[in-house]
Amino acid sequence: MASSQHVLLSPAELAYLHASLSLTPPIRPDGRSPTQFRPLVAETGILPGTNGSARICFADGTEAIVGVKAEVERTRTRHDFPSLDEGAEGDDDDLEDNQHDVVKGDNDWVEMTVEIPGYRDDDAGTVFLSAMLSEALLADGEFTKRLWINRRFHWKLYLDILLISPPLSYPLPLLSLTTHLALLATRLPRLKSEGDEDPLFDDDWAAAAYLYPRPAAKKGSKKTTSFATPTARPPVTLLVMAVGNNIIFDPSKEELAVADVALAVSVGESSNPSSSTAMDIETEETKGHHNLRILSVRTIDPPSRLTPPGIPNASNSAYGANAAGAKDTEKKKQQQEQARTAESEAVEGVWKAPRGGAKPLVLAALVQKVLEKGGVADEVLDALDGVDLN
Amino acid sequence: MADRRRINGPVGTTIAPIYDDAPEQKSQVAMATRSRPANVIRKMYLKTGVTPSASGSAYLEIESSGNGGSGLKLSCSVHGPRALPRSTPFSPHIILSTHVKFAPFATKQRRGYLRDPIERDLGTHLEAALRGSIIADRWPKSGVDIIISIVEGEQDREISKAQGIEAWDTMNALSGCITVASAALADAGIDCVDTVAGGVAALVQDAGDDAAPSIVVDPIPAEHEKVLAACCIAYLPTRQEVTNLWFKGDLPASDMDVYTQLVEKGIQASKSANRVLVDCLNETVG
Amino acid sequence: MPLDTSAYSLALLRVDGRRWNELRRIHAQIRTQAAADGSSYLEMGHTKVMCVVNGPSEPGPRRGGVATGGGGGGGGGQSKNAEVAVNIVIAGFSSVDRKRRGRGDKQVFELQSTISQALAASLHTHLFPHSTINISLHVLSQDGSLLAALINAATLACVDAGIPMTDYVAACTAGSTSTYAANDEGADPLLDMNHQEEQELPGLTVATLGDSDRVAVLVCESRVQVSRLEGMLAVGVDGCKQVREILDRVVREKGIKMIQEGTVERGVGLNDMELD
Repeated sequence: MASSQHVLLSPAELAYLHASLSLTPPIRPDGRSPTQFRPLVAETGILPGTNGSARICFADGTEAIVGVKAEVERTRTRHDFPSLDEGAEGDDDDLEDNQHDVVKGDNDWVEMTVEIPGYRDDDAGTVFLSAMLSEALLADGEFTKRLWINRRFHWKLYLDILLISPPLSYPLPLLSLTTHLALLATRLPRLKSEGDEDPLFDDDWAAAAYLYPRPAAKKGSKKTTSFATPTARPPVTLLVMAVGNNIIFDPSKEELAVADVALAVSVGESSNPSSSTAMDIETEETKGHHNLRILSVRTIDPPSRLTPPGIPNASNSAYGANAAGAKDTEKKKQQQEQARTAESEAVEGVWKAPRGGAKPLVLAALVQKVLEKGGVADEVLDALDGVDLN
Repeated sequence: MADRRRINGPVGTTIAPIYDDAPEQKSQVAMATRSRPANVIRKMYLKTGVTPSASGSAYLEIESSGNGGSGLKLSCSVHGPRALPRSTPFSPHIILSTHVKFAPFATKQRRGYLRDPIERDLGTHLEAALRGSIIADRWPKSGVDIIISIVEGEQDREISKAQGIEAWDTMNALSGCITVASAALADAGIDCVDTVAGGVAALVQDAGDDAAPSIVVDPIPAEHEKVLAACCIAYLPTRQEVTNLWFKGDLPASDMDVYTQLVEKGIQASKSANRVLVDCLNETVG
Repeated sequence: MPLDTSAYSLALLRVDGRRWNELRRIHAQIRTQAAADGSSYLEMGHTKVMCVVNGPSEPGPRRGGVATGGGGGGGGGQSKNAEVAVNIVIAGFSSVDRKRRGRGDKQVFELQSTISQALAASLHTHLFPHSTINISLHVLSQDGSLLAALINAATLACVDAGIPMTDYVAACTAGSTSTYAANDEGADPLLDMNHQEEQELPGLTVATLGDSDRVAVLVCESRVQVSRLEGMLAVGVDGCKQVREILDRVVREKGIKMIQEGTVERGVGLNDMELD
C-alpha cells in the first residue's frame, strides 16, 4: 500500500533529494536534523464512550484516532491433547497449578483493526500495518495477562485504529504513537466480585483501574509532573531509514521515496528488569533512562524501488545517442554496450531506483541508533511522558 | 471476513473429554530435542520445473523433525512476465504480486480458502524480499504473479497446540517461501541480481535445568522449551546484502550483541539454503 | 431497551430533558486538519463525526475494489460534472456495544449514496468536469441522527474546501411522541431524536437547502401514520433552519478569525461583516 504509493517526483528531483540527504550532515527538505521528529499535537480521552482513546495530529496534517473498547468474554476451556496424554493425574495437577499460577493470556483476546481511507481492510498494506502493530504489542506475552479477570472470564480488547487523513506519509509511526497513548489512557472497571464467580464490576468510573497501572503519585514528591509515569508501557514502533551513510528518523513521504532501506523498529519498556534473559546491569544505571526492550524489527519495502529511473545522456536519443548513423551494426552494438553500462552503473546526478538489499552493517547501525542510551527511542518515550493522560 | 461461498468444514477438531482414571498409562513422551548441531540447517529437497504450464516453478521440501511430525512442503509457480491489463497505469518496473496460501489441510487447524491475515502478511514479506533481488526495470509495463501454496506446514504430531508455537512457525514458512520463490523466478528466467534465500535463527531456551539461552539456526519450536526471539532473513550472498529482515521477540535493548548475533546466524542459515538453491539450479542447467 | 414514552405526557419533557422542539447541543469546527482541502468536526449531542474533503481533483487510479459509495454526480472521468464520492467509516468503538461493519454493509452504502446525491445537487459540480470530489466521513460516536450529522459535517467541510455551492444543506431529524401502534391522536412531533428515541419512535431525516423550504433529502424508514407526517416534516424543516443558522455562525466565526489572524485577506463585499 503506502510503500507502493505513487510519489509525484521526477527522476531529477529524486536524484537531487537523494544527493542532499546523503551529504554529511544530511540536508532534509524541511530543515530538520536527522533524528528530529515532526511536531505533533496529541490528546487522550477524547471519546467518553470508549475505555481509552487518543488522537494525534502531525504537523503535515495527518491525523489518527484510536479507540479501545473492552468487553467481558467467557474464556474457552480447552479439552486438548495434554489431558489425553497425561491422564487424570495430569488433570489434577493442572487444577492445582491453576490455583497458584493462574494469570495467563491468549493472543486471541486482542483484536486490532486498522482503517485507512481508500484502502480495503484486507489490503496487503493494511494487513502488514496491523500485523506489525499487534506483533509488537503481543511480543512479550505480558500484555494479554493484563486482560485476565478470573479463570472463567477475561477482557476482550478491541483496538480500532482510524487514519482520518489520507495517508500522506507512511502512517506507521503515527498509528503506533496514537495506539500507545490510547492504551496508556485505557481504563477497565474495577472488579468487585472475587474468585471465579461471574464478574461484577464497580459502576464508578473514577475507580476504574488503568490497564497500564501507574505508581501512586506521592504527594509532595520531587516529581514536577502532576501525574505519575506508568512503569511498563505499550510498545512504540519507529520508522527509520538510511540514505547512503546517513540514518534519518521519521521520514516524510518524499524522503522515503529515495530511501536505500527503511526499517520499522518496535521498542517496549519493561518494568521488571529481573525477567530479562541474559544479562542485566540495569540496576546501577541512572533512573532517567528507560529500560528498553527490542520487540520487533521489520524491513519496509522502500517505495524508492518503484520510482521511475532517469535516463543518462549516453543513452538518451535526444542527445544524439542514437543519432543518424544508427544503421550500421557496429555503431549499434557500441550503443547497446553503452546502454548496458548505463543500466548497471550509476551515473552522477541521474536517478536510478536502488537495487538489491541493504548491508547487514547498515541494518545493525539503524537498530543501534534507535536503542542506544539517550537514543531516539529514549527521546520519544520521554516526549510521550509529556502528554497529559486523563 | 467470513467465507460465504463455500460450505466449510468445522475449523478445528473437537475431542470429547475422557474421564479416565488410569494413572499408569501416563506415557510421558519425552520432548523431542534437537539432534543437529546449532549451526546446521535441516536437509532440504528442491526441484525446479515441476509445473509445466507455468513459466517457472519449484518445489521445496524440508525434512521433518523426526518424531512423526511433518516437514515443510511448498510449491511455487511463477506466471509471467506478462503485459499488464489495459486499465492499469503505466509502470516503469515489473509489478510483483505475491500470493502465499496454506492449503486447507496444511496445518492441524484447518485453513479456510480465503487468505487470512497471516498469509497476507507473509505475502508482503515475500514481496519485499524478492523485489530487492529482481532487476525490475528490465520489464516496464509488465507484471509477474508468484503463487506459493504451502502443501504441508511444519507441525509436530505429538505436541498439542501450545501457545505461541504457530507464531514461530510462520518464520520458518517465510524462509521456505523465499527460497522456493527465488528458485522459481530463476526457472522462469527473470533477471535477478542474485539468488535470494531465506534463513531463520532463533534464541532458544532449552528444557531442563536453567540452561543459558542459545542461538540456533533453523529452529523447530517444538524441540525447545521456549523460543525467546527469532529472526528471518532474506540474503543475497554475492552482494552481501539483506533484502528482508523480520525480527520478533523480546530482548533487552542493552543486549544488542544477541540481536546482532541472531542476524548473523540468520544470514548463515540463508547462505546454507542458498547453497542448495545454487546446486539445484546448476543441476537443471547442466 | 424499552423507553418509557408515557413519561412525556406528564411533564412534556423528553428522556434527556428537552422540550419537543429543542435541538441538542450542536458544536462544530471547520478546518480541523491541515492536510485536507476541507475538513470539519461536528457534534450533535453525543453523535460525533469528522469529515475530510479532498478535491475537486483528477480522479485517481482506481484502486482495486474501493467502494466509492454511489456516484451521485455521474461517473467521474468522462462526465461533464464532478463526481461526488462519499466514503463513510463507522468506527468500531462508536456505539455502546462494539459492532464492526464491513465495507460491504448495505446500510453504509445507503448513507453514502444519500449524501452523495444530496451534495451533488447543491454543489456546482458542472464547474469541475472530469474530476472527483472525495468526501470521507468518520463516525466516532453514535447517538441518533447519524445521517443528519453526516450531512451537516459534509456541508461544512465542502464550505471549508471552497467548493462553490448554492447554499448550506442543513439536516436534522424529527419524530413523533407515540408509536404507530399506539394510535394516539394527540401525539406531538419531536425535533432531533437521540438514539433511544430513534429505537422506539417513528422518525424521519430531512435536509433543506439553506433558508428556503426546499427539501433536499427526506428519509423515513419507519411506520408512521400519514396524519402525523406533515407535523413531523414541518418541525423537521424548522429544525433545519436552526441548524443552518448554527452552521453559518461556525463558518462566519472561523472566517472572521482567519481574517483577524491575517491568514486570508479581507475580500470585497465583506465590508458589511462585523469584525468584533
